[in-house]
Amino acid sequence: MIWLGWRQQRTETVIAAAILALVAVILVPVGIEMAHAYTRDGLSHCLGATQRPLCDELVGNFQQRFDKYNSLVGWFNLVPGLFGVALAGPFALELERGTHRLAWTQSITRRRWVATKLGLATGSTLVASAVLIAILVWWRQPLVKLDGRMDNGAFDAQGTVILGYGLFALGLALAIGALWRRAIPAAMVAFVGYFIARIFVDTWLRQRFITPKTVTWPAGKDQPASLARSWVFTEYPSNAAGTKMQPVPRACFSGTHAKCIVRPGFGYMHAVFEPASRFWALQGIETAAFGVTGIALIAFAGWWTLHRE
Amino acid sequence: MSAISTDALGKRYGSNWALRDCTLEIPTGSVTALVGPNGAGKTTLLKLVVGLTRPSEGTVEVLGRTPRDDERELMPKVGFVAQDHPLHAGFTVAEMLKLGQRLNPSWNDDIARRRIERLRLPLDRKVGKLSGGQQSQVALTLALAKQPELLLMDEPVASLDPLARREFLNSVLEAVTEHEMTVVLSSHIVADLERVCDHLVILSESRPLLVAQIEDVVASHRLLTGPLADAADVARVHDVIRASHTKRQTTLLVRANGHVYDAKWELHEVDLEEIVLAYLGYGAEVFEVAS
Repeated sequence: MIWLGWRQQRTETVIAAAILALVAVILVPVGIEMAHAYTRDGLSHCLGATQRPLCDELVGNFQQRFDKYNSLVGWFNLVPGLFGVALAGPFALELERGTHRLAWTQSITRRRWVATKLGLATGSTLVASAVLIAILVWWRQPLVKLDGRMDNGAFDAQGTVILGYGLFALGLALAIGALWRRAIPAAMVAFVGYFIARIFVDTWLRQRFITPKTVTWPAGKDQPASLARSWVFTEYPSNAAGTKMQPVPRACFSGTHAKCIVRPGFGYMHAVFEPASRFWALQGIETAAFGVTGIALIAFAGWWTLHRE
Repeated sequence: MSAISTDALGKRYGSNWALRDCTLEIPTGSVTALVGPNGAGKTTLLKLVVGLTRPSEGTVEVLGRTPRDDERELMPKVGFVAQDHPLHAGFTVAEMLKLGQRLNPSWNDDIARRRIERLRLPLDRKVGKLSGGQQSQVALTLALAKQPELLLMDEPVASLDPLARREFLNSVLEAVTEHEMTVVLSSHIVADLERVCDHLVILSESRPLLVAQIEDVVASHRLLTGPLADAADVARVHDVIRASHTKRQTTLLVRANGHVYDAKWELHEVDLEEIVLAYLGYGAEVFEVAS
């Protein structure tokens, strides 16, 4: 049965490998260049509290040169969805064509057939997602050292969440495919569903996983160190009595930040943020949310397929 | 012992009964034709027997076991050639054989290779590129190499031209003589079946109308023609399947219980196809042919 599973998943395995190869071809040269520039400019010496001269300029140059790749890497958010949808293909196609009945009338049990097919798809999705994580984490190393990994763009491409994304996309495509029995439309609907779920979590749900912290500091002074590499939701000024300035005076938008905060009446700055120390907690919650939903959908697809006929 | 035995078996899809009140026995070692028009419930009955679907009511027992519940024990003993023989179009013939080998512990590779060789099917050809007749031969090969005790075929010849149909049925005949097994094949085409089958099940409108040995069926059915008359006296002794009247004469198809003695009736033998058609309600045509 495992031979059959692989044979039927051959095209999709090649597709997943090709996507990974494409990601690698795009990112590896830039990654090497970036790592090289990071070492050459001695940026590691600019990370500590006591900074060497020229650090601002060096870091600024580096960021200007490489931050633009962030938007490119943002597109790779789609990749785990592609893995899931592609690897759900063999299962949905088989149901669409009715060829599962050929397997079900051989000597193996239907349960074993379902378990092998879904197990292979799940394993392949996890492996492909893990390789994607490895590439993305390796690529971003220098940027993480400078900027942290809490911003949406970095958070989505780090840690374990990609495993969850892959499982979720796979589960969604399998469940819709099992219900609908039309592989291509099911894949398209699942991909759109994956996209919507990701946007919902990125823009609304993630910041509600853990109650954010707030920090206050006197206007005109440096930001507290706890904000560095953190995920800052909002930053707002208040008067000396601590009352929030709302609306923020128009002058603050036209001038630079520094000019604004020295205006009379602004006493303090406040920030609402998730500190960098919560990276793994947030990763864990998001991975579990997507992963558990994905596994539940995969189980549903199997159950439905076994009990429908 | 019966290879298949059903009791008040029924299957409902939504509010439609695809099969109902189906009680029949198919003896071990028989070759049974399951005939009836499209939609009569043939496919449903075979699916119930092979466990592809669950009964809505009644029971079905196959080789002494319950399909679906005893999947593990039963499936190695049952070969199934599905309607339109769904195969993996992208697989080569060799890969289809490998599939059979991997999924069936009782697989006999010699049987498979010899059949493919005899049929001159190229092993490296994609299944999707084969003709309909060749595809059904591949499906039959898969089922036979499994060495089943019971071989089920759902409309195996429906999509074949007459020549391919004849060849396919010959293969079945050969296989039956070579290996001991019970065979059930469904068809809405009655021609050629008599050559292969010894038992007959007629299904119509989701119910079995007749379950019998073909020999007995042919021996017991007679066409009676005589003067325009009431058929009541005949019906008292024999089962009248169809009656039709013209201005001058009456024609009856009866299942005779013993001899028909009345001299006013002229007796004709009828062949299997005519009998089946009479049961299925296409009586008029039959009588035209006879008169």
